[in-house]
Amino acid sequence: MSNNDSRYVEIVNLVKAYPNPLGDAIKVVDGYNLTIKKGDLVTVIGHSGCGKSTVLMMLAGLNPITSGDVVVDGRVVDGPGPDRAVVFQAPCLLPWLTSYGNVMLGVKRCYPHASKKDRDDIVKYYLNLVGLADSMHKYPREMSGGMQQRVGIARAIALKPKMLLLDEPFGRLDSLTRMDLQDTILDILDKEKITTMLITHDVDEAVYMADRICMMTNGPEARVGQVLNVPFERPRTRADVTSDDLFFDLRASLISFLEKNEKTRPGDQPAPAAQPLDQGVYEAPSLLDTHAPRGGGADLVLAGSTSGPGQGTLN
Amino acid sequence: MLDGLKTFLLKAVDLSALTFLEPVVRLAWGEEPPVQMRRIGRNIVIPLIAIGAFLVAWTLISDKIQTKAGKLPGPVATYTQASKIWLTHQQEEEKKAAYDLTGPGREARLAEVETRLDDLVALDETARQGVIDAKAAAADALAQAQAPIDAKIDALKGQIKTAKATRKTELKTAAAALDAGNKDAYATFLASMQDGAQAIEADEDKLDVLKAQYKAVTDATHDPLVEAQKEATRVAEEIQHLTAMKDLLGGRNRGEKLAGLETKLEAATAAFYTAPGEKAYNAANKISMTKRSVTRTTQANYPTPYTLPYQVLRSIMCVFVGFLIGTAVAVPVGVLCGLSPTIMAAMTPFIALFKPVSPIVWLPIMLIIVTGLVGDPDNNAFIQFLWKLPFIGSYEVNPAFLASAAVVALCSLWATLANTALGVASIDQDHINVARVLKLGFWNRLFKIVLPSALPLMFAGMRISLGVGWMVLVAAELLASSEGIGKYVIDQFNNGSSESFASLIVVVFVVGIIGLLLDRIMIVFQRAVSFDGSVASI
Repeated sequence: MSNNDSRYVEIVNLVKAYPNPLGDAIKVVDGYNLTIKKGDLVTVIGHSGCGKSTVLMMLAGLNPITSGDVVVDGRVVDGPGPDRAVVFQAPCLLPWLTSYGNVMLGVKRCYPHASKKDRDDIVKYYLNLVGLADSMHKYPREMSGGMQQRVGIARAIALKPKMLLLDEPFGRLDSLTRMDLQDTILDILDKEKITTMLITHDVDEAVYMADRICMMTNGPEARVGQVLNVPFERPRTRADVTSDDLFFDLRASLISFLEKNEKTRPGDQPAPAAQPLDQGVYEAPSLLDTHAPRGGGADLVLAGSTSGPGQGTLN
Repeated sequence: MLDGLKTFLLKAVDLSALTFLEPVVRLAWGEEPPVQMRRIGRNIVIPLIAIGAFLVAWTLISDKIQTKAGKLPGPVATYTQASKIWLTHQQEEEKKAAYDLTGPGREARLAEVETRLDDLVALDETARQGVIDAKAAAADALAQAQAPIDAKIDALKGQIKTAKATRKTELKTAAAALDAGNKDAYATFLASMQDGAQAIEADEDKLDVLKAQYKAVTDATHDPLVEAQKEATRVAEEIQHLTAMKDLLGGRNRGEKLAGLETKLEAATAAFYTAPGEKAYNAANKISMTKRSVTRTTQANYPTPYTLPYQVLRSIMCVFVGFLIGTAVAVPVGVLCGLSPTIMAAMTPFIALFKPVSPIVWLPIMLIIVTGLVGDPDNNAFIQFLWKLPFIGSYEVNPAFLASAAVVALCSLWATLANTALGVASIDQDHINVARVLKLGFWNRLFKIVLPSALPLMFAGMRISLGVGWMVLVAAELLASSEGIGKYVIDQFNNGSSESFASLIVVVFVVGIIGLLLDRIMIVFQRAVSFDGSVASI
């Protein structure tokens, strides 16, 4: 694996600050560092409002970066583009187009020189991949939420993106549909090997889907609190993973991280404006001292994490 | 199969926004009869009852309202007038067809017309006699009704006269007997004089009442006479129509005229070749003149007078021309305003300034502008081009028409403009994000994302615009004297015929029904483009 592939996505000292009329700008995300290997699936977990989506939107280029850099495949991110496909929590389909039309919109953009027949094949292939071969000509309003989200996924993958950004794509689905869709995505990623970032606040999902789990501290000044390796082999089956002891260990450590973080939630604190922002109260508590070096978020680079499969360190 | 039909019907009902029919369809398939009956009761029966109540109230009220132009026409009179207007229109169409008819068809039609005319002559005789009889009967009846009142009046007049004379002598006698210097006696005399005057005044009032009664009896219409006159008029009108038809099928028929000219031409040609020397000039002249006549006759159409149905069609065309011009301006400007707050800010003062201007103000301005641009319609290339078009040509687009259309455009475009701007400005952020991720260019973004998402609001605006345009149009036509509903209204108002009042009431319903249909059409369009399928049905 070349150096470029092991550092396929690099997020360096990412900061998102919003102006605050009462004082210093509020840094929602401050010093976020993460490196992702090519083809890896990283899940990002944290409490709601901690800035997970902000990070993803900055990666997508939909939210301007205040400072820091995002580099994907050697190129600095500057605005949105089809090389970083996004699937949002809402399906965001264009309601006046059928599922075929919705996918075709992206395909036309990304394969401008393909023949009509080729484009047609591409659209049909991806809709087939997400299991919508029969609903190709249905409008979003005629489909269930799960089916709509499948179209959204097909549209994203059909762009042949370098990176797939999933912003709680299962957030609005019932648990059966959710599991179904999780497996669909894992199947596709096993085939397509797209580098993926998945935002979630479902612990089981985070463990089951991920190669690495990136736990975020609470905002403001959110950053990477901890990164866990998930060593399960791919392709995975739910039954195997969820019956493994390691699954429960990972799950337990995730939950304890989140619980510990909860004690320092901004809602429990005095108003942030009354408190100097440079105080360490928002820093991640050191839950897993043995697992990774504690310190400034800047050190917590995934590729730099020397710990192997988290199993041993967790016990 | 049957279920398929049901689904189809329900979809059709939904798409055409005729939702009140939905329970009927469901009932036909036996779906929850009590529920459907309740819905039918509310959405169909109640409106029908309301319409019935309205007709009754209209009849009652119209009976009471007497104006200089006659009674306010009730539902029956209005319906009669509507049928009459329609009949006139059909007769004009018949005449037009007759003018163009040739060959055996013409002969057959001519024979038909002649037979009917022969029948009508007898009918006419009877009808006239009927009128004469009815008049005599009416006169008798009138005399009978007048006689007793007349007698009473005479009696009362005599009574008053004698009373006045008696009173006068009495008073004079009393006056002679007055003591000079006795003030009380003088006062009593004055009081008694006034009392006497009051008694006579009361009698005079009675006389006035009787006179009014007499006038009412004299003015009262005699129903059999009215009926007889109506019948006579009907027959006379049909005779008039058929005589015109006979004429148009005979001598004035285009084919016949051409045949006549052809014979003339042949004769003239023959004469020309045998004409000696100088006379050949006159003969040749005759040939060319006849040839010109042939061309004229071939090209000329039967001059149809403007009937209400024709004027309604012209109005509809005018409103659509104006509406299309307005939309063509409003949509692009609205899109620009929606896309750019700067353009919106630049446009706002103009929108605010021109939106409230009345069509009455715009019309003279537009008339001046259009007339100035067009000049003489007979020499204007654009107008001539329009006249030669297959469908539009038959509606004689002229400057007045164009000015009316321009006013419709000016007054109706604001709703479309505002709604388009709103629709474009309020696109779902998710859809914008999709466009950004796909890095769509300006045009792709406009046509793939912005316009489709603004379309429902845009059509909602166009629906309002068309409604406004239809209201404005009648006023504009009236002012511009552009043949159309407005012109018909002002003509009826001015001509003072006994039928005008009823014709005006007919126009009320015609305008209302067409406005309703236009609105329905727009609802259907609006539904077709609205992706969430939710549009208010009223």
